[in-house]
Amino acid sequence: MAQSWFKHALQRSALQPRRQTASLAILGMFVAIFIGALYLSQASSTSLLGRQLGDLIDERDRIQQENEALRAEIAGYRTVERLLRRAQEMGFVPATNDTLRYLVVEGYNPDREAAVVPIDAAVEEPLPEYDESFLGWLQQQWDALVGQVERFNSSESN
Amino acid sequence: MQRAYNQQEVVRRRTPFVVTILVIISAGLMLRLASFQFSLPLEVQSYLESLRDAGYTRTLELAADRGVIYDRNGEPLAVNTLDYMIGISPNLVSEPQRTAQLLASALGLNELEVFEKVRSDDPWVQLAPRISAAVRQQVTALDLPGVTLTPIPRRSYPQGPLAAQIIGFVGGDLVGYYGVEGYYQDQLAGQVREREISRIPFDLPETTQIGHGSDVVLTIDRDVQYLAENELLRAVQESGATGGTIIVMNPRNGEVLALANYPNFDPNAYFNITDENVLRNPAVNTIYEPGSVMKVITVAAALDRQAIAPDFSYVDSGVLNVAGISVYNWDRRAYGAVDVTRVLVDSLNIGAATVALEMGRQPFYEEFNEFGFGRITGVDLEGEEAGLMPVPGDSNWSEANYVTSSFGQGISVTPLQMLTAVCAIANDGLMMQPHVVRQFVSNGEVIPATPAALGRPISAETAQQVTQMMVAVVESGLDNPARLPGYTIAGKTGTAEIPDPSGGFYQSGVSITTFVGFLPADDPQVAILIKLDRPREYWASQVVAPVFSRFVERLVILMEIPTDDVRRQLGALGGSVNNINR
Repeated sequence: MAQSWFKHALQRSALQPRRQTASLAILGMFVAIFIGALYLSQASSTSLLGRQLGDLIDERDRIQQENEALRAEIAGYRTVERLLRRAQEMGFVPATNDTLRYLVVEGYNPDREAAVVPIDAAVEEPLPEYDESFLGWLQQQWDALVGQVERFNSSESN
Repeated sequence: MQRAYNQQEVVRRRTPFVVTILVIISAGLMLRLASFQFSLPLEVQSYLESLRDAGYTRTLELAADRGVIYDRNGEPLAVNTLDYMIGISPNLVSEPQRTAQLLASALGLNELEVFEKVRSDDPWVQLAPRISAAVRQQVTALDLPGVTLTPIPRRSYPQGPLAAQIIGFVGGDLVGYYGVEGYYQDQLAGQVREREISRIPFDLPETTQIGHGSDVVLTIDRDVQYLAENELLRAVQESGATGGTIIVMNPRNGEVLALANYPNFDPNAYFNITDENVLRNPAVNTIYEPGSVMKVITVAAALDRQAIAPDFSYVDSGVLNVAGISVYNWDRRAYGAVDVTRVLVDSLNIGAATVALEMGRQPFYEEFNEFGFGRITGVDLEGEEAGLMPVPGDSNWSEANYVTSSFGQGISVTPLQMLTAVCAIANDGLMMQPHVVRQFVSNGEVIPATPAALGRPISAETAQQVTQMMVAVVESGLDNPARLPGYTIAGKTGTAEIPDPSGGFYQSGVSITTFVGFLPADDPQVAILIKLDRPREYWASQVVAPVFSRFVERLVILMEIPTDDVRRQLGALGGSVNNINR
């Protein structure tokens, strides 16, 4: 019994380093496969993104070119000759000095200074400012609540 | 057994030496490799890097889109479009006969020729070097395999021949020639940029846009330009002239509102032009003797130098013998006692010569120089000529030249130079530099062109006096056909003889007729020069003055310039119409 146990211990001690090596190798292989898979996944998604970006750039350039072409086409439709022809088709006739009257409107001066109300005058009081601390947030909530109560009270009195 | 042992012993003893030698060699190689990485001269390092990069990147030179040219109201005058080069890869075509049939029909080509190209052994064959976007759409709709369409940038001029000699054109090499396209080539073209294209799929492409040349907004008003070109064409046809020019300018700031020439060309088809002179702009690069228009400058110069007073008078005997020549009036009449206003009203050569002699030679040339004769105006158009004004000391100058220059003979100017000088009178003596560009727009930033003054050849008081004389010329003088009811116009005609190119004196029976004027005379908003070359009738007052009246009649409506009485009523209310807002 004691002898068989000893033999078994000897066999086990001989196998132990091989198993550990194999386990480590397998673990290493799995890690390598995992990292490789990650790299491939990342690389393929980058590559795909690059292609999509390239397509978008091409699309952008194409749209810009089409835009230019449309601008040229519109300009072609707006030539003086074309507008004149169209106006004549619609019954317009060229203005002459005999048919033209300039009106001088009493009290109207086209060069007068425009009276504009200053923007500052419309602002009655400065808006409250809150800092980004907890107390500031609390103050903001409180002011909002007070405001709601005031609006409610004023609507009630109306 | 003993022998095998000995061999093992030899191997055992030699192995350390071999290993040591190998380690030393490896270390040497590694050191050498490290030296490549860290201690190479810079030029060698960059060469090696370029060799490395050449394998997986290539550099594309990308031209920026050319800037668009607009008129002052934003109407596009020159834009960018695309043509396409069409080709085919025969080995990708499965149905050659059908493909050839469809392509020939769409491209307007011979079906047999297209079929031969489609059956070619070459990997790629060009079918047509340049097709329009419309044809490209037809071809794309056919959805044929193997067909490739390569975009080719093209400059397009949607208004056709309108303002062609101002705009110029862009050649097949994408470089601007003549006009604004030539003068502002650098600004319009923008920069050519290099873009690295990587063949490595993991490298993301550059997303930066290739810039855009600056857009150019002209001072030209498209509608006024159209009117000027139409009136010029009509005038040329009616008068039998061989060519002509109309320039409309704002004397207050030198903005050119219209510049029409006949003959002109279509910049979309510049390659069909056989006479290169048609491509040039005669308003700035053709010189001529201005004739009697110059009398206005002579009188203005003499008044400003106080060589004569506004009430100056002399006795016109019908001939003036001076400097070895005899000067006659246009009708060879003697006018008796005449004042300086009548010198202009009756366009008297003897009067102009007398005024110049009163002024003296030195002040005369100094004043003419101040008016810009003999030097360029600096207008922003290609190929401007300086004109020809012989001065004392020049080999081609004589005393007679001084006398004849006073009435516009023996001195040559460009039409724009002449109008610029007259604009000084219209603008209270301040002469503004003519220009055709109003502003540049670059990356959304607007850069306005600031009007520049060329000088003040005469005082405001002199300008007012000469203006009144020019009004008298139109109201009661030979140039009466230039009048327009309701408007006060200041102007002067000029009938110039044409020097004989064979070296003789002047050609007989042919003339260059000019009218230069501005309105309203008391508050000038536009100054106009109309010139007709070799019309059937000889005198400018008969040929070009009526054209001026007809042109101005349409122009005041287009530019909304009210009649004098309306302007005065408006002025009484504190308003004015002296801002050209178009």
